Amino acid sequence: MRKIMSLKKGDGNKKKKNKLGDIKRGDIQEKFFLFLVIVVLIFGSLNVVKAKGWLIPESPDSFVQGKTVNLTKMPLDKKIAQMVIVHGSTWNEEAWKRLGVGGIHLFALADAKTYKTIIEKYQEDVTIPLLVSADFEGCLNPFSNFHQSIAVSEINNPEEALSKGKEDGKFMRDLGFTLNFAPVVDLNDEIWKCRSFPGDEKEVSELAEAYILGLQQAGIISTAKHYPGRTLAGKDPHKQLVTAIINKQDIYPYQYLIGDGVVDSVMVSHLITNGVINSEGYPSVVSEKVIGDLKEGFKGLIISDEIQMAGLRNFYSTLDEMYLAVFKSGNDIILDFDEDPLEIYRMVKVVEAAVQRGEISEEKIDSSVRKILTAKGFVVE
Amino acid sequence: MSSKKLLVIANVSLLLVALLLALIFFEVQLIPLGKATATLKEEASCQVEWRGEVNEFLNIDQCCLEARKQLSCEQQGKWVCQTGQGDVLKYWLNQAAYDYCQRQRIWR
Repeated sequence: MRKIMSLKKGDGNKKKKNKLGDIKRGDIQEKFFLFLVIVVLIFGSLNVVKAKGWLIPESPDSFVQGKTVNLTKMPLDKKIAQMVIVHGSTWNEEAWKRLGVGGIHLFALADAKTYKTIIEKYQEDVTIPLLVSADFEGCLNPFSNFHQSIAVSEINNPEEALSKGKEDGKFMRDLGFTLNFAPVVDLNDEIWKCRSFPGDEKEVSELAEAYILGLQQAGIISTAKHYPGRTLAGKDPHKQLVTAIINKQDIYPYQYLIGDGVVDSVMVSHLITNGVINSEGYPSVVSEKVIGDLKEGFKGLIISDEIQMAGLRNFYSTLDEMYLAVFKSGNDIILDFDEDPLEIYRMVKVVEAAVQRGEISEEKIDSSVRKILTAKGFVVE
Repeated sequence: MSSKKLLVIANVSLLLVALLLALIFFEVQLIPLGKATATLKEEASCQVEWRGEVNEFLNIDQCCLEARKQLSCEQQGKWVCQTGQGDVLKYWLNQAAYDYCQRQRIWR
């Protein structure tokens, strides 16, 4: 009997203990719940702050008075940011504007209205308007969801090229674009089979010139690409960067277009080159020799090809080294389609530090910014 | 279901959300095992199609960039990236190439 009583007592104690344990576990679960809610809110907010670029400090634009820019008053980081064209994604608009990038490049979108809306939003309330670019060549056509365009490989004479240039230019201008990364003046397109003008180097040059004049008549800045040629040829699949031998024919279109003073800008490729253009083992886009020689005869804008491609990135052990190299080599505009505004901001700061310690001359930066602002219609003091 | 169980479920869910948000914030990229296996099995390949003519595009990085510029990518056995229908350029990427592209900074 006693045994039964003690057993019952023991059961009662256990039940009490279990109840207490349940209450404690419940408390812990509730506290853990609150803790997790706070953690989720913090990380959620941090992600929004990061995406919006709110961590990037804003600075006053007092160096701009109407259509005049005082370069001496312009902060160095703002000058460097002017030299960058980023991907104009809808979710990063605020961050890019806060950073003061020089321009946006737009990929394919559904319709004309979407393009217009995005461009208007980007150009709203900015002291220095952004360059707005696309790769509108012909068969390479970001607008092909709603607008067709003849491939340049089907152009037969300068009249057709001029007419295409005018049409493409007007179309882009109406949407709000200012810069076209076209025409391609590589001689043989072995991959797409539609991006090069037909004919030999002389015919290609004449057709490209007519196309450029057409674009310019519509108020669009033209770009001859991809210097120094041979970028549309097949390559060794086991190499991310390939060496190409550049001959006189490859370089002829650039000499022709630059000699005539027609082309506004030239895009430089990632190819390592030998032959008439020797990049001395470096990708052309980071070769001070290649770009330096090009700059001797050409006073227009020099634009880098997109710099986040693995071939170029892997040429350097760190991203910072690559950033310094593309600025140091003399590109006026850097295409960087990294989607992270903080990374672009970091690039600006890395280059700013290099200028401050004398690794990159401020005169070089000023010279590029002067060209960019002039192309945007500003008077630079 | 008791409120205790609901609390446990909510906590586990929140923990997963918190983890996901932290991974996004610190830009940690995890390759799902299935895709990792696919990557090991095949070499990345990309082709360009223009008016029915298909050519090998050996520069995978350039292919990624061009594919990224298109309006959409759909899986049709391989991944096909294009803008609009009809007489338009198409980029055909196998799973390995598509996975590789998605890991690039321009695709994030």
